[in-house]
Amino acid sequence: MTYIPSADDLEVITREVWTSFLDGDPGGLLPGGDGVGAERVTGCVHLSGAYTGSIVLQCSAPAARDAAAALFSMQPGDVTSTEIIDAIGELANMVGGNVKSMLPGPSTLSLPAVVHGQLAVPGAQVVREVTLVWRNEPLVVSLWQQAAQAA
Amino acid sequence: MVIDDSSAMRLILGRIMRGLGFDVVEAPNGAEAIARLESGSMPEIALVDWNMPVMDGLAFVNAVRKEEKWRQITLMMVTTESEQSQIVRALAAGAHEYVIKPFTPDAIADKLALLGVLAY
Repeated sequence: MTYIPSADDLEVITREVWTSFLDGDPGGLLPGGDGVGAERVTGCVHLSGAYTGSIVLQCSAPAARDAAAALFSMQPGDVTSTEIIDAIGELANMVGGNVKSMLPGPSTLSLPAVVHGQLAVPGAQVVREVTLVWRNEPLVVSLWQQAAQAA
Repeated sequence: MVIDDSSAMRLILGRIMRGLGFDVVEAPNGAEAIARLESGSMPEIALVDWNMPVMDGLAFVNAVRKEEKWRQITLMMVTTESEQSQIVRALAAGAHEYVIKPFTPDAIADKLALLGVLAY
């Protein structure tokens, strides 16, 4: 039987990335929250191979700005879209790479894609999702699987 | 030399390496790293991401290992690729060590000490 990482696994991995690079504090990322509103930044990496799907990281625009500021050691007000795209892409890459290690292999990990707004993953469905709060802002991490493979 | 397509990651790794006493040059992909080597840069160690545009980290390792003149460069993968088969591929291609992101500064320092490029 194929093991699909649980929502708890997604949370643990995300917490490890956040603790290592953004907070230094495992308690900085809290479970819960109401999900991400329309003004969001989305980072995504795709997997193809034994598991085909995506790992999608969505956060509010303020959370994305704060994450970029923390990664680049900048003041949030000085962060530009370039830094936000780089930071959210790398965070999605790290979360995605670690989720990939728990999925059936071998699979290939894509370069990250980042958009301001929602990202469509055609033909795929969410199989796991965790909703978190960081600095009072929402963050959602989800694992998608191609519908044909999920069936 | 820090080779990573993320400028945030280059900044973080560069800061760690400078803190350990290294001079740091950066490249955003394997091709630009090769160009730097061709132009005379000879790093003691290269920290190499795997997934990058233009030329990925594995291709960079293969290219470096093909050249006798670059044989002395220590190559350490620093990447999210954590499947055992990928680690084996990188080591077989000639990488000396492998660090999985996320990492801590201590993890980088420990690996460098293991490789003998950092004295404790």
